Order: sequence, then C-alpha cells, then structure tokens
Amino acid sequence: MNYSKTNQGFSPTADIKHQPLVLNYRQGLGNFLSLHIGRAILFIITCTSVLSVLLIFFFIIRESLPFLQKFSLTEFLTNTGWYPQAENPQFGALALIVGSFYVTVAALLFSVPMGILAAVFLSDIVSFKIQTVIKPVIELLAAIPSVAYGFFAIMVLAPWMQRKLGFTTGVNALNASFVLAVMALPTIVSVAQDSISAVGRELREASYGLGATRMETIFKVVIPASHSGIIAAIILGMMRAVGETMVVWMASGNASQIPHPWWNLSQSIRTMTATIAGDMGETAKGSDHYRALFTIGLLLLVTTLCMNVLSEYFLARSVKKSGASK
Amino acid sequence: MKIVARCILDNIFTALTWAVVFIIVILLLMILGPILSRGTKAVVFRDTLEFRKMQLALFNRGNEAKLSAEISAIIPIRQKIYDTIDKFKSGIDTESLTEQVRKIYRNCGQELSYKELRPQQYTETRSLLKEIRDRLQTAFASTDKTQIAECIGFVMGYANDERFKGTSAWDFFRIAADFQKAAEKIDLAKHRQYVQAVGEMEDLLIQLLGPRPGGASPATAMNQFGATRWDLAEKLMDKLLWKEQWVLQQEGESLVKNRTERAKDCAGTEIEPLFDYIKNNLENMLKPKWQFYWQYFIDDSTPGHYFGGIGPEILGTLLLTLLSMLFVIPLGIISAAYLAECASDNLAVRIIRMCINSLAGVPSIIFGLFGLAFFVLFLLPFLGCSPKPCILTASLTLTILTLPVMIRASEEAIKAVPFTYKEASLALGASQFKTFISVTLPAAIPGILTGIILSLSRVAGETAPILFTGAVALGPLPSSIFHTTRTLSYGSYDMAVGDRLSAMVPHNQYGMVATLVILVLCLNTAAIIFRSKLFKKLHGH
Repeated sequence: MNYSKTNQGFSPTADIKHQPLVLNYRQGLGNFLSLHIGRAILFIITCTSVLSVLLIFFFIIRESLPFLQKFSLTEFLTNTGWYPQAENPQFGALALIVGSFYVTVAALLFSVPMGILAAVFLSDIVSFKIQTVIKPVIELLAAIPSVAYGFFAIMVLAPWMQRKLGFTTGVNALNASFVLAVMALPTIVSVAQDSISAVGRELREASYGLGATRMETIFKVVIPASHSGIIAAIILGMMRAVGETMVVWMASGNASQIPHPWWNLSQSIRTMTATIAGDMGETAKGSDHYRALFTIGLLLLVTTLCMNVLSEYFLARSVKKSGASK
Repeated sequence: MKIVARCILDNIFTALTWAVVFIIVILLLMILGPILSRGTKAVVFRDTLEFRKMQLALFNRGNEAKLSAEISAIIPIRQKIYDTIDKFKSGIDTESLTEQVRKIYRNCGQELSYKELRPQQYTETRSLLKEIRDRLQTAFASTDKTQIAECIGFVMGYANDERFKGTSAWDFFRIAADFQKAAEKIDLAKHRQYVQAVGEMEDLLIQLLGPRPGGASPATAMNQFGATRWDLAEKLMDKLLWKEQWVLQQEGESLVKNRTERAKDCAGTEIEPLFDYIKNNLENMLKPKWQFYWQYFIDDSTPGHYFGGIGPEILGTLLLTLLSMLFVIPLGIISAAYLAECASDNLAVRIIRMCINSLAGVPSIIFGLFGLAFFVLFLLPFLGCSPKPCILTASLTLTILTLPVMIRASEEAIKAVPFTYKEASLALGASQFKTFISVTLPAAIPGILTGIILSLSRVAGETAPILFTGAVALGPLPSSIFHTTRTLSYGSYDMAVGDRLSAMVPHNQYGMVATLVILVLCLNTAAIIFRSKLFKKLHGH
C-alpha cells in the first residue's frame, strides 16, 4: 500500500501533458484491464480468509442452534452435571468451563512471570549474540507439536508425578497446567520481547542518567511503558492455553468435576476442548450430544475471538505508543 | 549503604533472569531428551535371533540359509531346557498325570474288548486295570512318600505281566516309573507351588524364546516370535529370575513391592539350576547383534504397532501436508501479494486483516469441528460423495488452519523487498503485474519459502483438526484421497493413550513421536536458518 501511494506521487502522467507514455490504445486498454481485473481477482482470492471465518461461524452456529432451542442456555452454563449418555441426559458445561479456566490460570501463574523475565533478559540484559542463540531455542519450544507435549505429559511426567509426588493419579490438573505453561511460554516471550524492545532508547537512557539501576529502570520505566504489549502477550498466551486440545485431553485425566478443595491441583479435571475431542468420536451425528459439543465449540470460539480482539486492541495501542515516543 | 543494597538487588535480578532462561533451556532439553533418546532405540538397537526370524517371516528380509543355520545351532541349547522342564513336569504335574492315566485306562479298556478273551478273564483284567488306575491316582494325590512307594510298588508288580503286553497299559508303567523317580527327589507338600512356578516359567520362556519348536504355530504374529530385542529379552530375563509381588506388610499401609528369587521356589529340584543355565546361555540362544533398522521408516506394522515400523504413518503425513500445501501456497501467496502490493488502507482490507488475525486465534479443535460440519457433512454430499472423513477433507481443514501462517510470512517477505528494486523495474516501463512477477516475487522467494516450511511443520504436527476429518489409528494404506489415512500425529496420540498392545513396545511409542518431533524440528530449523540468511542478505551484512 505504501508503494501505490508513492507511485501516484511520482507518476509521470501527472505533470507531462503532451505525450502519454502509453504507446497505443490497445496496449493502454490491456494494461488497464489487466491491472483492474487482476486486482479484482486478487481481492476475491484474498477474501478466502474472510469467507473461512464466516463459514466457521455459520456452521458452528448452525450445528449448535437446535441445542440452544431445546435446552436452556443458563442451565448449560450453570449446571455441573455432564452426563450426555445417561437416560436423562444432562448437558451442564460448568465443570468443563471451570476446568478450562482452571488449567489456563494455573498455567499462566507459571508462564507469565517466567515469560516476562525471559523477555527482559532477551531485550535488556544480554548482547545481540546471545540473543540470536536463545531466540531459536524458544522458537523451537513453540514448534514442538502439541501431541508431542501431550506424549511427554502422559508418558514421562505422569509416572514421575505418581512416583515422586505421591499423587493418586499422574494425569491431573497440575500435569496439564505445567505442560500448558511451557507451551504458552514462547508466545508470551516473543510478543513481550517485541514490545519491551520497542520502548525507546531515550527512556532507558534518561532513567540511567538519573542514577537508576538496571532493575529499577526495567521495573519503573520499561515495563510500565510497554504494559500494553505485555498485556497483549499475556492474552495471547492465554488463548494458546484455552484452545489447546491434545495436551489437556491426554494429561488432565478427563474427569468432569470441579476440584475440591479448589486449590487442589492434583485432582483430575476436564476441559472444554478435551470434551469435544473425546466425545465427538462416539456420538451420532445430529444427536443432542453432538449439538451440545458444537455449543461448547461455539462458546470456545466466541471466547477466543473476544480475547483476540482484546489482544489486538492492546497491540495496536502499544505500537501507537512506541511510535509516539520515537 | 543504600547504594550497595540497590546494586545487590540489581545483581540478584540479573541472576534471576539468567536463571529463568536457563530453566527454559533445561525444560526444552527435558522434554526433547527422553523423547529423542528413547525414540532412537526404535531404529538403533541390539536385535535378537527372533527379530531376524520375524523380519524374514513378515517382511521377507534377510538371508534364509544363514538364519536357519543359526537356528539349528541353538536348538540343542534350547532343547535341554525343554527336556528338563518336561521331565520335571512328569513328576509334579499331578493333574495332567491323572488325566493321562484316565485316558490310558479308556484306551486300554477298548483294546481289551477287541482281544479275544474269555468273559471271566476279561472281567479280571478289567478290574485289575481299574485297580492300577486307582492306585496311581492315589499316589498322585498323596503327599505321603511311603504311601506313594506302596502304590507304585503295587503297580510295578504287574510290569512284566503277560496280559498287558502290547497294549497301551505299558504307558501306566512308564508314568509310574517316572513319577517314582521324580517323587523321590521333591518335597511333595510343595507340588502345587512347583506346578505354578513351572507354569509361569514356561509362559515367560515362550515370551523370551518364542513358541516351542514342533508345536502348533500361534495364530497371531505377536505370539509367533520371542523377544525380538535384547533390551526386551533382558527385561524378561529379569522377570524370569525374580518374582515381583505386591505385599501388604502392615495393616492399613500401602502395598510394597517385593522381589523374590524364583529359583528359591524350586529349591532342591532339577529346575533350580535351570535358571542359571538360561541366564548363562541367553546370549547364545538369542545371538544379540547391533542393528540399524532403517526400514523402520518404510515398514508397515503388524499387528497393531507391535512389530514393524511407521511407513504408513509417514506416507499419510506426507500426503496430508503435500495436499494442503497444494491449496495453501497459491492462496497464501496471492493473498499476501494483494495485501502487500495492491491494498490501500480501506475498510475492506481492514476487515480482511482482522479475519486473518481471528483465523490465527481460533483453537485447533474448532477447525476440527468446522471441518466435520462443513467439509465432511456438507461439502462432500454437495459434490455427490458419501459424507465420510477422508484425506481430502483433512487436508482442506488443515489448509484453512495454516492459511494465516502462510499469508503473514509471505506478506512480510514481499514487504521486505527493497523499494528500489520495484522502482527500477517500473522505470524500465514494466507494468505493475510484470514487476511483481519478475522482480518482487523472485526477490521474496526465500521469505516465502520460510513461510511454506513453517506451514508445513504446522500441518505435520497438528492433531486436533484431523481427529474427526480423516485420521485413523490403524487401517490399510489409502488408495485415493477419498480414504482415511494414518498420520504420525494421530498415531502418537493413539499409541500413548488408546492402544494397549503398544504399551508393551515402548520403543515403538517413542519412535513414532520422535519421528514426528524430528521432522517438525528439522523443518523449523531450516526455516530459522533461511530467515537469518535472508535477513543478512537484505540488510547487507
């Protein structure tokens, strides 16, 4: 877009009137047509993404609407009983929603402090050389497929927890949250690092000039200045944790219950994503259970989209801010 | 003083950040370490003779003549074990002995009725046979040595009787003699224990050495061979030597694992030295050899994932990724070209950008649901196919999933092409389209390649979207894109969670996931290297 504006600015036809650069009429028309028709085609192809988003919404809503007409939404959101195969099926998703919330928050408690510290490390503490070594390591952490994380959780971490920590089961909320935390780390680190690096040099130098130590500079100047970006990083990490399926399906134990007492992470729980993945295989297409799963999907979709909009708002704000400070 | 405190705090903070990064690196190693190290064992390991037998039988691989020479060389060693066990069993397995005696009695009775005997003689012989049978059964059931000696003595008294010559009654005396010999040596009160110990030993021997030669071949492939790997054989050997039991030591406490020597169970019998014999000869019997089993990556597996490799999984993953690349590369590059070159900052473009960002944020399982609802249950019937999950639907679902990755990477690459390139081309009179095709695009190719590689690795690793749209755990090789396929990602999940058979072959579980991880990591490393080279090139370092 940059380019097209500049092109108009420099366009030779704007000033030179006597002889257009076009050699003959046919060529001019050809150019004109190819330009505009080509653009139109490109635009239509580019709209695939828009179409995809619309289709996703349309089909998820279409499949879940009959469920919402038959059962009440409030009951779906407040009942803790998820017994879809029972004689009197109950579709209460509260335990699942709480489960998703639970592992996400537990994962963030671990990954947010670590992620921000790692971001500070990369942007402020080490030289560019070490940065180029550490960054790929963190990127590799993001590249490992989620099923491999789940495999690690169930084959390595779960037996270890059972043996060393004395839990009754190795597949529990703690296991899932820990692995989710590792998965959310790279997102948080890279987004937070971008926004921390974007804080101008002048701010840091001013702070150092006033005699502040590096820690004081980071905590009192850099992090406050980049807080929008850090919030966006946290939201993006949260989205990764909420939307993750394989790890929670394999490592959380899949027991539809709210932990009691609430801080007891060693109990099994069940999340929304794991319920969809686990139950979809055994439902009849078009049954209430099937539609209930799509309703969970809709809830998940709306949640993540809201979070996405929020994160974009914060990202845009952080870009604007850093742009203004320059 | 205050300054010192601040400096110390500052240093602590610096150390803390170092520690955090250190922990992250350790975490990466902790996760990759076990997966990769144990996964390697699927390919590089010490195989056994049974492995080479399996390779020949199932995959028609290896030198048949050499193998049969090797097998015949070890038969005497193995035969000695079986002989000892059989001999020992003839003395202690009273249930089967009683059964045998009954059978002989029945046969013998039939033989008698065919002989031309006078009625009186017939009844006499018949009752004598019955007497012998009963005496033998009493002897088998007894734990008193004198009673046994008495009974056997009675039976043996008829050993040379004319009437039984040439009939199957001779078997009575053979069994009686064997039993007498065996009964002298063992503690009869323990015979139940012996029976159990020998039974367990035989089961373990079948697992270790394969079924006995000459016996009927088991129906399933996994029972036809013994331990195919040396590490497995050592584990089984340990199980053979040591008996593990969960024992309740004190009331109310949890169970404690207790290891006892199996040889102690059979102390004082012929079986006791057999344990040492097997242990000392295990290497001679299995002939372990280092093996680089590269065919792991092309072999089909049977049954389940028990023997063989991950060929179908790799093929399925490749099919899925290539097919979705076929869709996503043109779509992604064209979208990126439009966004980078033609689009001004109007509402439509803003909406497009928002949609791309939203698409990137949608959880992968939602793509699975969408793929099921749209591609499988709507699009396929619409096109006149049956609404069944297949490779096509799975790869279309993955296409939509990876579209944002591709668009973002390509757009960045196109935008990174220096503006001077385009100006030069335009100044030479080339149209915008021509400029893009012959100048901008070639310059942006490395960046676009990075995007392609990243989307490849994303597609190869995703599991949730293909759960309901075309992946299966086990099944035949797909013959068209309208069939389901196995994939590495779904296979890894299934082997870790669903498949009980594969829990017995941990090397195959780890091998599958390690292959997936290595594939994805190689792709990503390639992308990282590509990007840094591109960065250097465009910034003139």
